[in-house]
Amino acid sequence: MGPRRRLTHRVVEESVRVSHRPPQRRLLRLAARLGEVLADRGMGPAFLLPAVLLLFIILVGPFFYTIFLGFTDLSYSTPGHDGNFVGLANYRRLLADDPVFWHSVATTLRFVASSVSIEMVLGFGLALVLAAQVRRPRAVMPLLLVPMMLAPVAVGLLWKLVLQGEFGMVSYYLRKLGLIAEDTSLLGDSHLALATMVMVDIWQWTPFVTLVSLAGLLGLPRPPFEAAMMDGAGRVRIFFDITLPLMRPLLAMVLLLRTIDAFKEFDKVFLMTGGGPGISTELLSIYVYRVNFRNWDLGYGAVCAFMVYLVVLILCKLFYNALGQAGGSKPT
Amino acid sequence: MLIVTMTARAVVTMFAGISLAVTSCSCKGDKKQERPAPTPAGSAGSGEAAGPWSLEKAAAPYRGVTLRTIGESLPPLEAMGRLKADFEKRTGIKVVIEMYEHSEAVNKVMLDLNSKVGRYDFILQPHRELGRFVTNGHLLSIEKFLNNPALRDPSFVPEKVLQPVLWKEISQYDGKIYGFPFTALTMYVWYRKDLLADPQEQAGFKAKFGYDLKVPTTWKEYSDAAAWFNHPEKKFYGTAIQGKRHEALWYEWLNFLYSFGGDMMETDTGSKCGPIIVNSPEAVASLEYYKSLIQYSPPDTLNYFWDDVMALMQQGKVFELVMWNDSTYAVEDPAQSKVSGKMGFTTLPVQPGSKAGKTGQIEGWTYLIPTDSKNPEAAYLFIQWMMGFDQQLAQHLGGGASSRPDVYAQPDVKKLSYSQASMDTNAVARPKPTIPQSPEITDILVRELSLALTGAKSPKQALDTAAVEMNKLLGACAPLKYPVQ
Amino acid sequence: MSRGWRGAGKAVVLAAIVIGLVPYLWMFLTSFKSRVDALADTPRWVFSPTLEPYREVFLHKDYLPLVWNSVIIAVGSTILSLVLGVPAAYAFARLSFKRKEDLFFFFLTTRMAPAISVVVPMFVLFNHLGLVDTRSAVIFAHSTFNLSLVVWMMRGFFADIPAEIDEAAMLDGHTRAGAFLRVILPLTAPGVAATAVLCFILSWNEFLYAFILAAFESRTLTVGIPGLVTPHGTLWGQVAAVAVVATLPILLFTALVQKHLVRGLTFGAVKG
Repeated sequence: MGPRRRLTHRVVEESVRVSHRPPQRRLLRLAARLGEVLADRGMGPAFLLPAVLLLFIILVGPFFYTIFLGFTDLSYSTPGHDGNFVGLANYRRLLADDPVFWHSVATTLRFVASSVSIEMVLGFGLALVLAAQVRRPRAVMPLLLVPMMLAPVAVGLLWKLVLQGEFGMVSYYLRKLGLIAEDTSLLGDSHLALATMVMVDIWQWTPFVTLVSLAGLLGLPRPPFEAAMMDGAGRVRIFFDITLPLMRPLLAMVLLLRTIDAFKEFDKVFLMTGGGPGISTELLSIYVYRVNFRNWDLGYGAVCAFMVYLVVLILCKLFYNALGQAGGSKPT
Repeated sequence: MLIVTMTARAVVTMFAGISLAVTSCSCKGDKKQERPAPTPAGSAGSGEAAGPWSLEKAAAPYRGVTLRTIGESLPPLEAMGRLKADFEKRTGIKVVIEMYEHSEAVNKVMLDLNSKVGRYDFILQPHRELGRFVTNGHLLSIEKFLNNPALRDPSFVPEKVLQPVLWKEISQYDGKIYGFPFTALTMYVWYRKDLLADPQEQAGFKAKFGYDLKVPTTWKEYSDAAAWFNHPEKKFYGTAIQGKRHEALWYEWLNFLYSFGGDMMETDTGSKCGPIIVNSPEAVASLEYYKSLIQYSPPDTLNYFWDDVMALMQQGKVFELVMWNDSTYAVEDPAQSKVSGKMGFTTLPVQPGSKAGKTGQIEGWTYLIPTDSKNPEAAYLFIQWMMGFDQQLAQHLGGGASSRPDVYAQPDVKKLSYSQASMDTNAVARPKPTIPQSPEITDILVRELSLALTGAKSPKQALDTAAVEMNKLLGACAPLKYPVQ
Repeated sequence: MSRGWRGAGKAVVLAAIVIGLVPYLWMFLTSFKSRVDALADTPRWVFSPTLEPYREVFLHKDYLPLVWNSVIIAVGSTILSLVLGVPAAYAFARLSFKRKEDLFFFFLTTRMAPAISVVVPMFVLFNHLGLVDTRSAVIFAHSTFNLSLVVWMMRGFFADIPAEIDEAAMLDGHTRAGAFLRVILPLTAPGVAATAVLCFILSWNEFLYAFILAAFESRTLTVGIPGLVTPHGTLWGQVAAVAVVATLPILLFTALVQKHLVRGLTFGAVKG
């Protein structure tokens, strides 16, 4: 038996031994039996069906209703707009008559591109440093995760407080350290507000990238590295030729998840700037919120929301295809 | 002589007896002489005639009912939370109050009304939502309750005790009554009277500007004072505008708009639309003036709304503001404010040469009863009770803003430093739109005002864009009085 | 590796920790400050602390039940998402069938729909089902975005386990499902732990669904926070107090599954 088979055999022995211990709870055992019986008749459907069914009822149903709404004039505020069919009128209005929407698209793309790219670089870089140079990375991780644990509304309020011009702790120290001028306003200046929101987003979500990257890095197999070092390869070559390709699926998954979530960014931007000053931080989600929940123009709002969904869908499909299957490939 | 006195006494007694009989028997055919209703504890000044109507009697059929309502989590609602115990004890009707943030309260109600869930028996909403609710059939007019002798408290005469313009604008739409004002809000000038009284400041000001430093009564005096007291190097500012992209901006600008003789539409009441004049020369002038105050404001002023400027004043970092009447207590509260006792309050300055004199805006939250309310009668009883003098006084002193002038006339209220300014402004306050498109109009204006303040557009461009969009939104009932090229 | 580099690495990590923690620490301090202290123009690190914000918001404003609501909803949606999502992920990792990758991509797309667009139809749907104003509605709604996370992450963890182990287990007499439950799943416990933590956090902190679909009495802590932003001044002490209390269960939960997280990462280093 080769070393690999020996290891696998040992693992299997261990697992089988563990599994023969009776489960603690009767219910669990019953569920297991039921699952086995069902599953033996076709593992795929039994394993996949419940999840797909839930999603279809709870999400896909309402989603298609939203699409349908896009062809109506439903509005909770204008009397008489009870959901009468209006064909493509809403789509025409969006494409021809709504400069604010398209400006929001541009603003959102800038926001997503800046924040996600910086988060990926910083997060992965930090994970590399942790994996390579910190003796007990797992002890340090919970400390790093704290920004991610706060509710987005809380993050918005917290940063509103610390960036406040007159009372904010962070703006006080930034001014003291000379990083910004006395009369610079981070959130009140239409040229700086978006950049400031990007910074806050980076603070909040880099830990997510770090966590997943670190888990991936610590899980990488040793042999390729040992072999490369024995061959005398330098650190940089090892990084580009071994680390990066092995990490690609994981990084791609994180990139996609972050991109999707960044497109939906709402809470903290709405709380901190309301989309202003002017329209400098008006993200798509804020615009859709206004149409749906302020104007209650649900027909038009449905079209706006569907457009946002389409943009994200197309972007992600492109990523997905370009980066190969993320998370589905076995390590080579 | 004794006979004369006795006769006189008899006459007086007879007279008293007759008048008592006449006033206590108000219903035809009501032979039972019921004991007059026990007057609510401490009902000074209400002058109610005791009749057979009593709260307990009217509420008897609804005993055991639970009323549910929703409103903004602010002191007036919290005061209602404390006061309701009395009502619950007397009637056996329970009241549950859901407290939410402003826009949350509006959104929840909108969803509830449109999905006909019927969660709420009565609601508290900003008056600008009236048009939306009424035109979509979501509200019951309370006129039928007002005219129902079983429910109506004869001692409560809203036509007499409520300020009529406030009641009309805040709780009525298109000539029908939908409720009563929960709060009657307006804005005026807050300033530091200790700084005004300082002789050194006075001398320096006179030397620079050539007239005495005093409470600003014109907009020129307002900006001169802001200029004089503006010391950014000392982190003290002349004023602070609420420039964040938030409705606080629109509320604040309206004061300037009205003062300069402008308005959004040419109409005399909120429930009607009229020609759009939001881009008139007066309006543009008001926006230009408003923008000019940025130079005397903190650097972050374009990210400030009522919260931040309130904090500024409480921390003693600004000289004058245009702020709300219902939050004045917060700046006079020594537990949260460094400047309590140093504050002065006055009506908005005027713009000489404009056709508007002293002015202000009408704003408020109103009691409303939804069509799908499960207990509209019981809800009406509670609302009516809350509008009683004692409850209104207690609520007002607890941080509210009553619409009853007799509450303001109370010594406890009169001695508060801000009551005079509130009364004076309420007397000249002007309505704002309550038509269904009103909140959308606000959003359009907030965006354009914000763009004008950042310099991305000129004031005229911004207001022209707003006018065009309003016209598109409202259609024929709001033509452009100042067409845009 | 040169000492200079090691030092620089440690400094970078330290900087990252400081940047991440200091604002949180500031919020923690703010929860014990009076309003005057909280808004002082020179940041006050030393002040006389008060429990007033905690008392106000948790006792007077009755925010304690909200903690319980948050717990129920977060735990509920995590369990639901794991129970439904883990088997699905296993199926993706082991089976091959037509359009498998398309179905997998479908799971990803469920994450893309902005809540804002879907929540009103969802509200209408739950109204028809009589589920409005219940915590179950929120649990179902949260599973719509947590399911995709579970499927995605767990597929990767399952894929890392060689299929030979499944086969060996089946040779030993387990059924397919038995092999999954008794052999494979325990091996991925660390992955499940990490995924559970993320699901819990996302559900705990979610705002829109929890606000629209739950009743006033079942609202979560997150939904309770904006109510402290009032036109009379944001109650910073109370906001901070709620935020601090809101992070405690997450820290607790993370600490509880910490062991599995640790085991997972070491295990991963040993295999192969």
